[in-house]
Amino acid sequence: MTIKVAVIGGGVAGLSAAYFLAKNGAEVSVFEQKYLLYGASGRNSGGLTAQFRNEALIKLALRSLELYNTLQSEIGFNFLLRRDGYVKIANDEVANVLKDEVEIQKRAGVNVKIVDPDFVKSLFPDINENAFSIASYFADGGVVFPWPVVWGLAKGCKELGVKVYDYTPVSVEVKGNEVVGVRVDDELHRADYVINAAGAWSNEISRQAGVELNNKIFKEEICVTESLKPYLDPYILDVSTNVYISQSMRGEIVGGILGNETNNINVKSSLDFLTKYAKRVVELVPKLRGMSILRQWAGVYDLGRDGLPVIGPTKVKGFIQLNGFGRNGMSTAPAAGEALAEYILKGKSKILEYFKP
Amino acid sequence: MKDRKVVCRCEDLTEEEIIHAIELGYDDLESLKRFTGATTGPCQGKGCLMHLLRILSQKTGKSVDEIGVTTQRQPVNPVPLYILAAAEKGDGE
Ligand SMILES: Cc1cc2nc3c(=O)[nH]c(=O)nc-3n(C[C@H](O)[C@H](O)[C@H](O)COP(=O)(O)OP(=O)(O)OC[C@H]3O[C@@H](n4cnc5c(N)ncnc54)[C@H](O)[C@@H]3O)c2cc1C
Ligand code: FES
Repeated sequence: MTIKVAVIGGGVAGLSAAYFLAKNGAEVSVFEQKYLLYGASGRNSGGLTAQFRNEALIKLALRSLELYNTLQSEIGFNFLLRRDGYVKIANDEVANVLKDEVEIQKRAGVNVKIVDPDFVKSLFPDINENAFSIASYFADGGVVFPWPVVWGLAKGCKELGVKVYDYTPVSVEVKGNEVVGVRVDDELHRADYVINAAGAWSNEISRQAGVELNNKIFKEEICVTESLKPYLDPYILDVSTNVYISQSMRGEIVGGILGNETNNINVKSSLDFLTKYAKRVVELVPKLRGMSILRQWAGVYDLGRDGLPVIGPTKVKGFIQLNGFGRNGMSTAPAAGEALAEYILKGKSKILEYFKP
Repeated sequence: MKDRKVVCRCEDLTEEEIIHAIELGYDDLESLKRFTGATTGPCQGKGCLMHLLRILSQKTGKSVDEIGVTTQRQPVNPVPLYILAAAEKGDGE
C-alpha cells in the first residue's frame, strides 16, 4: 500500500522532504498558505556553511552541500550555486569562541581553518583589514540564490507526482492519538503522516495536534544594493556585530544583521536596521559607501530547543516535526528532508537520533 | 522578425516572456514578479506593474482585484549607504 503524506509548509524543509519521499514511492501533497517563497526560504541570504558547533548539525550541512550539487542536475534547475567560500570574521573579544568552534568543526571533518585579516583581504581586496582581527575560512561553503532552490525543488516534486497547493492554508486533524490528515476549509485531506514544516508557524500547527513544541521565533532584516560587477566572492559574516554581506549572481550586495528573538510574527522593515547595517558595512568595505540600497525586507524563522532543529515523530502517531531550523535552514534542511524520508519509509535514520522532538 | 513587445523596460522583458512564465506555473503576481524580475528594476515597477496585472488577468481569467497589488518594498527612492551610516538613529523600532 502506498504511504500518503501531507506536508504543511512549502519552504526548503517541506519541499525537500516531499521530494525525497516521492522519489522513494510515497504519495505526497504539499500545502503552502501563501505563495512559494512567502516563508523564510524566500527571504534569506542563501549562505551555505557547516561552521557550527554541533557535530550532527555539521553532518546535515555537509550532506546538504552535496545535495545542492546533485539536485541541480537531477532536477534540471540552476540554483545559481557558487562555492566560493564562507568566512566568519571576528574581533579580539570573540576570537576564542571562533578558535574553539573551528576545532570542533575540524574534528567533524569540515575543511575549515583560522586565518588572519590579510588572508581575507586576498579573497576580497576591498575589505578593511583593520575592522576585524581574526577569521575562520570554510573553502567549500558559498551561496545559493534561495528562489531557484525553492522553485527547483517544487518542479522536482511536481515531476515526481507531488501535488503542490499554493494559497492553501491548512490545519492538522487528529483523532484520538493518531493523525488523520489536514483540513482545507471544510474538506479533510487524509494522510498517514502529516509533516509540520511550517517554519515560524510550526508552534501553532503543533498546538493544533496537541503536541508541545516551544520553538523560539526570530525576525531578521535584510537588504540589497544596486548591482555591481561580480567582485565579492565569499559570504562574509562578522560574528562580532552579526552583520553579513555577500554578492548575488545579479550583482547586488545582499546583506543584513542576524535576527533577534521576537514573540509575534511580523515582517515589517525598519530604518533602524538600515542605519545600523550601513554603519558597519562602510567600516568593513569603505568603497561601498556610495552604493544605494534598493530594497529591504524581513523574514521570520523558528529555532528548536538547544539551538537545533526538531525532526521526527511525536506522541501523536503520524504527526512528524520538521522545523526549528533557525538561521541555518538553507544550509541544513535538504539533508534533513532526505533523512526524514528515510525514517518514514524505512523506519530508521541514524542522523535524526540527534534531533528528536 | 516578430515585434518585440516590451512590457518591463528596466529588465528588458517582453510580453511573450511574461506569458511563458505564467504558462510554466508562475501564475500569481508574487511568483511572476520574482521569476521574471519584472517590477524589480530601478523604477521598482512603476513602469510595468499595470502591464503585468493586465497580462495575468487575461491569462488566468481573474480580475485585477482578485490578483491583488503587492506591497512595495521600501525604500522607494534609493538611499546611499554613507547617508544612512551618518544618520543619528533610525525609527526607534
Ligand atoms: C533574512 C534571513 C536571512 C537568512 N539567511 C540564511 C543564510 O544565509 N543561510 C541559511 O542557511 N539560512 C538562512 N536563513 C534561515 C532560513 O531562511 C530558514 O532556516 C529556512 O528558510 C527555513 O525553512 P523552512 O522550510 O523550515 O521554513 P519556511 O521557509 O518559513 O517555510 C514554512 C512555510 O510554511 C507555510 N505555512 C505556515 N503555516 C501554514 C499553514 N497553516 N498552512 C500551509 N502553509 C503554512 C509558510 O507560509 C511558509 O512558507 C535566513 C533567514 C532570514 C529571514
Ligand atoms: S519597467 Fe519594470 S521595473 Fe521598471
